[in-house]
Amino acid sequence: MFFLDILSGVLLLVGVFFGFTGALGLFRFPDFFTRVHAASVTESIASILILTGLMLQTQFDLNTAKLIFILLFLMITSPTASHALAKSARHGGLLSIPESKKKKENS
Amino acid sequence: MHFGKWTLFLAVFWMLLSGYFKPLMLGFGVLSVVIVLVFLRRMDKADEEPMVISIGHRMLRYVVWLFWQIVLSSVQVTRLIWSPTIKLSPSLEKISVQNTREASRVLYANSITLTPGTMSVDLEDGEITVHALQKESIDDLKSGEMERKITSIWGENK
Repeated sequence: MFFLDILSGVLLLVGVFFGFTGALGLFRFPDFFTRVHAASVTESIASILILTGLMLQTQFDLNTAKLIFILLFLMITSPTASHALAKSARHGGLLSIPESKKKKENS
Repeated sequence: MHFGKWTLFLAVFWMLLSGYFKPLMLGFGVLSVVIVLVFLRRMDKADEEPMVISIGHRMLRYVVWLFWQIVLSSVQVTRLIWSPTIKLSPSLEKISVQNTREASRVLYANSITLTPGTMSVDLEDGEITVHALQKESIDDLKSGEMERKITSIWGENK
């Protein structure tokens, strides 16, 4: 079990790093659309790594199955949520950086 | 609708979630499986688009490939975030998905959003509007590797 503990610790730490990276990108990126990209680092790779790390901590019983379900549902719902966010921003009239540049040149 | 397949799927799902094997709990399980099956039947009649479970080896292979893509593009975006000066070339383009089946389009759009660096903003009239952090990622999508993998899951194009 010693080897598994080390592996799970590494996975958890790397996952935390990616989660932190997502948060940092949320502050450093310039506009709404690019910020959603930064957040998607957190929701994809960080959640995969952290949940895999947690799976290795279980006794490979029902709890493992539940963690797999959580991962599966996150993989379906989180892109849907960011898609809904981006779509409503766009339909609400928010322009991305290249579009607003073009608009400035035209006017 | 494959009743047997759905019953098995729902029963296994219930077992894995509950973990109790007392008669009362199993009774509740059977009850909820039956309720879901009745709902599924009614819904199928309503939208005439039968729900099918299809988890074949092709789907699994695609999921593994997708995980690898997520890792690759995450590293790329992470490098962008940590670089001292932010160098982005955000771009917005439309990608045609005319050759892909309707059901696959949702998976395609979802996969695009799931890989960091690209995001599907809109899906209409057989076109996905994609926003990307860097222009190169859109060119990658246009080369059609992901689209080909997705169409190969559920057979040929319509």
